[in-house]
Amino acid sequence: MFLEIQYINKSFGKEQIVKDLNFSLAPHKTLSILGKSGCGKTSMLKIIGGLLKADSGNIILDGNDISELEAEKRNIVYLYQEDLLFPHLNVFENIAFGLRIKKQKEAHIQSKVKEMLELLELEDQGQKMPHQLSGGQRQRVSFGRAIIINPALLLLDEPFGSLDAGTRQRMQQLFKDIAHKFKITSLFVTHDLKEAILMGDEIAFMQSGKLKLYKNKEEFIADPSTGVQNEIGFWENLIPKGQNII
Amino acid sequence: MRISLKPFFLSIMVLLILFPFVYLLWLSLSADWSFPQVMPDYFGLKNWKALLISETGLLRSFFQSVIISVSVGFTATLSGFVISRNIAYHPKKNTLTLLSYFPYIISPVVFGACLSYFFLKLGIFGQMTGVIVAQFMISFPYALIFFNSFWGEKTKNMEDLVSTLGGNRLSSFTKVLLPLAKGMLLVCFFQTFLISWFEYGLTSVIGVGKVQTLTIKVFLFIREANYFYGALSSCLLILPPLVLMYINKKYVFNKLT
Repeated sequence: MFLEIQYINKSFGKEQIVKDLNFSLAPHKTLSILGKSGCGKTSMLKIIGGLLKADSGNIILDGNDISELEAEKRNIVYLYQEDLLFPHLNVFENIAFGLRIKKQKEAHIQSKVKEMLELLELEDQGQKMPHQLSGGQRQRVSFGRAIIINPALLLLDEPFGSLDAGTRQRMQQLFKDIAHKFKITSLFVTHDLKEAILMGDEIAFMQSGKLKLYKNKEEFIADPSTGVQNEIGFWENLIPKGQNII
Repeated sequence: MRISLKPFFLSIMVLLILFPFVYLLWLSLSADWSFPQVMPDYFGLKNWKALLISETGLLRSFFQSVIISVSVGFTATLSGFVISRNIAYHPKKNTLTLLSYFPYIISPVVFGACLSYFFLKLGIFGQMTGVIVAQFMISFPYALIFFNSFWGEKTKNMEDLVSTLGGNRLSSFTKVLLPLAKGMLLVCFFQTFLISWFEYGLTSVIGVGKVQTLTIKVFLFIREANYFYGALSSCLLILPPLVLMYINKKYVFNKLT
């Protein structure tokens, strides 16, 4: 497997946040992780990204144990709910940031960023400053900045949480297209049931620091603890039996 | 017809504010002006020309003050910025922040007296280096408190983002944090420069008369009843703050608003 997480544990004081985290993920696949606020999903992502140190356990990425490696050497990008664009840099420079850090040649940076701007349908926005963009555009720039450095693994922490329904839907599709085009391996954390089902090739549910992986989406839907059954029940009760919506 | 008194009071207010400055300038241009004469016997550039004479030591004091204040402002701002980050992310942040107020709860003269033994041992008592170190010790906590608000969850997330994008601590500072804090860094530099520029108590104890900053010089002239040189040195004293205020307004404040 491309990503293997083995017996990760993390506690803050007496409270155990992540309990015996064990899962693996094939390359170029997205694992959706559904969980409520405070269930430990952000801590889990931060441990995998190297931003938080685990108390125990191993992280194997592409056959290498990266558990002790610093975040900047892991080639894992963490994307937050907030786009976190650098306000002093324009769109072009925000996307080019990772390439400049890696001291790539100027001609290479220019061509890669232009290509990325086209892919994100932002070709006319390169010189704009972040405050001149809409929420959806900002999130697209944030994606571009992460993907352009070709990360081995992408960690997405509720990336569309702050967007309106329409923009969110467009961004979900854009992410699926980009993930397919760039063969991205990712962990997609969300608290939205529908988004979890839509975005993942595989699906998992996190509760009180424990992660449960499902063999398929049907098993996930059938599990009462995920809340899918409640959701179905809600919509069924809303519409009287034998009556069509339209 | 009702007459508005607003312009009248406004003019009075402007005159009252401007009067000390105009009077200082007038005094600096005057000589041989004693009671009950309404106007001075001499009015001209004699005092200002004396600036260039080494006897008064005013020019030397002016440049010495500039060197001291620029050094204090620069070191306090930069070190305050970097160390305030460590304090902000420290588990005992509140205790450390409280400790930053310590130099302000005792009088600068008492603080200077406490420090003098150590400065004497270090061989920097009565030296310009000693004055710079002493003034740094009261400017640095100010910078720590000033930058406290800069560090928060969003800044931390940005730093983390830089590291996952492949950047180390240095690139995080040079490419993101310093450009983000540019306005705050400038304002902090101005403030710490001014703390140092007008510092009297600590400087007089640690400098022991050997390091005569412009502020010390003003008091010396006043004590000698040399009001004309006192006014002249006061004019010099308010010159850099005026320049800083202008730069602040033109390049920092306008951009922040």
